[in-house]
Amino acid sequence: MPLHVTGLSHNTAAPVEVRERLAFTTPRALDEALTHLKGALAPLGGECVLLSTCNRTELYVAAPGDTDPDELADLLLAAHGISAAERADWLPYLEDKGGCRAVEHLFRVTSGLESMVLGENDIVRQVKDAFSRATTAGTCGPTLNPLFHEALRVAKRARTEMNLSRGAFSIGHAAAQLAESIHGSLAGRTVLLLGAGKMSETTARHLGAAGANQVLVANRTYDRAVRLAENLNGRAIHYDAFVEHLADADIVIASTAAPHTVVHRPMIEEAMRARSRRRPLYLIDIAVPRDIDADVGEVEGVYLFNIDHLQAIVEEEAAERRRRAVRAEALIREEALAWSARMKAALVATPLLRSVREKHRAIVQDGLTRLRQDLPHLSEDDWRRIEAFAAALENRIAHDPTLKIKEYAERAAVDGGETSEEIAAKMRTARELFGLDEAANAAARHRGE
Amino acid sequence: MSLSAAVLGLTVLCYLLGAVAHGANLLLRRPWLLNAGRALAVAAALLHGTAIGLRCMEVHHAPFTTPAESLSLLGWIVCLLYLGMEAVWKLSAAGPFALGLSFLLVLTGASLAVGAGPSSAPQGETAALLAERAISLHILATVAALGAFALAFCCAALYLIGHHILKSKHGLAWIKRLPPLATVESAAFTLVAIGFPLLTLGILSGFARAARGGLPPGWQTDGKTILAYAVWAVYGAFLYARLGANWPPVRTAYILIVGLALSLLLLLVPSAAHRFTG
Repeated sequence: MPLHVTGLSHNTAAPVEVRERLAFTTPRALDEALTHLKGALAPLGGECVLLSTCNRTELYVAAPGDTDPDELADLLLAAHGISAAERADWLPYLEDKGGCRAVEHLFRVTSGLESMVLGENDIVRQVKDAFSRATTAGTCGPTLNPLFHEALRVAKRARTEMNLSRGAFSIGHAAAQLAESIHGSLAGRTVLLLGAGKMSETTARHLGAAGANQVLVANRTYDRAVRLAENLNGRAIHYDAFVEHLADADIVIASTAAPHTVVHRPMIEEAMRARSRRRPLYLIDIAVPRDIDADVGEVEGVYLFNIDHLQAIVEEEAAERRRRAVRAEALIREEALAWSARMKAALVATPLLRSVREKHRAIVQDGLTRLRQDLPHLSEDDWRRIEAFAAALENRIAHDPTLKIKEYAERAAVDGGETSEEIAAKMRTARELFGLDEAANAAARHRGE
Repeated sequence: MSLSAAVLGLTVLCYLLGAVAHGANLLLRRPWLLNAGRALAVAAALLHGTAIGLRCMEVHHAPFTTPAESLSLLGWIVCLLYLGMEAVWKLSAAGPFALGLSFLLVLTGASLAVGAGPSSAPQGETAALLAERAISLHILATVAALGAFALAFCCAALYLIGHHILKSKHGLAWIKRLPPLATVESAAFTLVAIGFPLLTLGILSGFARAARGGLPPGWQTDGKTILAYAVWAVYGAFLYARLGANWPPVRTAYILIVGLALSLLLLLVPSAAHRFTG
């Protein structure tokens, strides 16, 4: 069945206020939408998968015959409870793709090439979730099932071979990677947060994900420190006492709103004297204006990074990912073409294969009927054995031609680049070789008598 | 060509390819390159062990009676220690150095053997001396210690490179290719902690044998003997700085660099008393 995708994303110029209106934000909303879509597509024998992330809402549909993009758009909008009358408001943001372009689009989305942060990993989980939800809802069938498995395989290949997901995606991620470059394993390391802002929380979460499990939070407003410490499973300390804890810290994240620096060289020198000199101190200053005096970085055993250093790492790695993405795009295009060609081949080969199997089955059934008349004394048990033998024989006889026809059709479509019409013409020749049309005519004549 | 020489030829090839694969992985970071490098390092270690065993059977003596054999043994020990480091600390960044060093040691040994000709094998009094257990222990322990010091130097170099990048903020893209500072610092210490007692054992067994007499005159002031004391003192100083004086890792890394320079001198300096290594 031909594939179509319709939807919107940050790439279709849909602003966030439009994207959020069409997003299915809860599992329940998604399940209800799938139920609605299942009902709408059932009369056509169609299949669908609904992918909804914070930046993208897309409906993948496989349905027999030609599909009108407007109908698909209506289907997606209706799943969100938006009437067809409002379609005009949405059309500028909706994009429709069909056939090989739709396959390529799915492969690109799953590989992270269409993501806002190029190569990010979350999209793989989101595609898997969407596919799994559709399978549970019963909206996935013989077309979308293998296609989504293929998309996940291609994404894995693109990410592995082209290293698409390598590197830091954010300031917090870059800070955590540097922490690992200094300390190795972060398990058991102590993180001291100066300031309870969003940036320091995000960075602390990245460090926590990398294993740092002891968090101290110091903030001018003690209550905020307590709240953030609770969120991070850490401990709040009084802001005035943070200097006493510098000697215990392995990593310090500074992001206060102070208009001047709050960490000075003598404080750090004192802290370094109070600890083993083999234990480095990693300081992350993500505040603007800066919280830590620049000359603190000159102290032995201290590694100081400010927001510009971290931003430079993120940008450098993004540029590197963009270079790798160019190669990944070529790989994905190749995979999408190969998949579409295989589907095209299957589309023309399937009716022929079905006819071959039906002809074989008719011959076997005819033979069995005659045999029953000639051997009436055989028991039911004997007949069960004979029928099982006949079925096995039928399968063995059909096995090689089935494989050959599939191989031939795929080779013609993939390697030869033949059109559906050219392959269909060759399939007609195959029908003549198997005498399928004669058999059909004979059967028709037989029915006429 | 003897069977041991043929196997050693294959070993040299594995060392070279292993070093290239590890180096390429350091640049390109491809898992298949790392796996290929690891497989080649394991193959090289197995082949090298086989070559040394075959050599023993062919010449009926310990595998370190000529400079070529000593260098080959050192190359094998470096490779074995590297495989241990890789298993414990995942220090594949040390692979190009370790396997490259093994390659150079075996190749240098082979060219020395070719240059010396077939008569280079020890004869008469020297051969009898080399057959003694104390001398075998002396050589084995010293060579193993030098292998550990070579890899400790590699860790120190990796530490200093990483430290320089993190301090200067230049070439930060490279920092991900290098092992964490804490890991290389710990690995360097462990290697010296293994090498230092071995060197002590080597020196003591040499003393024990010398006390029994029969060695060439002037062994006490021989270049290798003096340098062995110097190397022992440098690594002893490293251990003191690391464990007792709480020196920062950057400074102790420089001690390891000085230590390797002296170790190389110890290996290469001409000697009258240590005829088995030239």
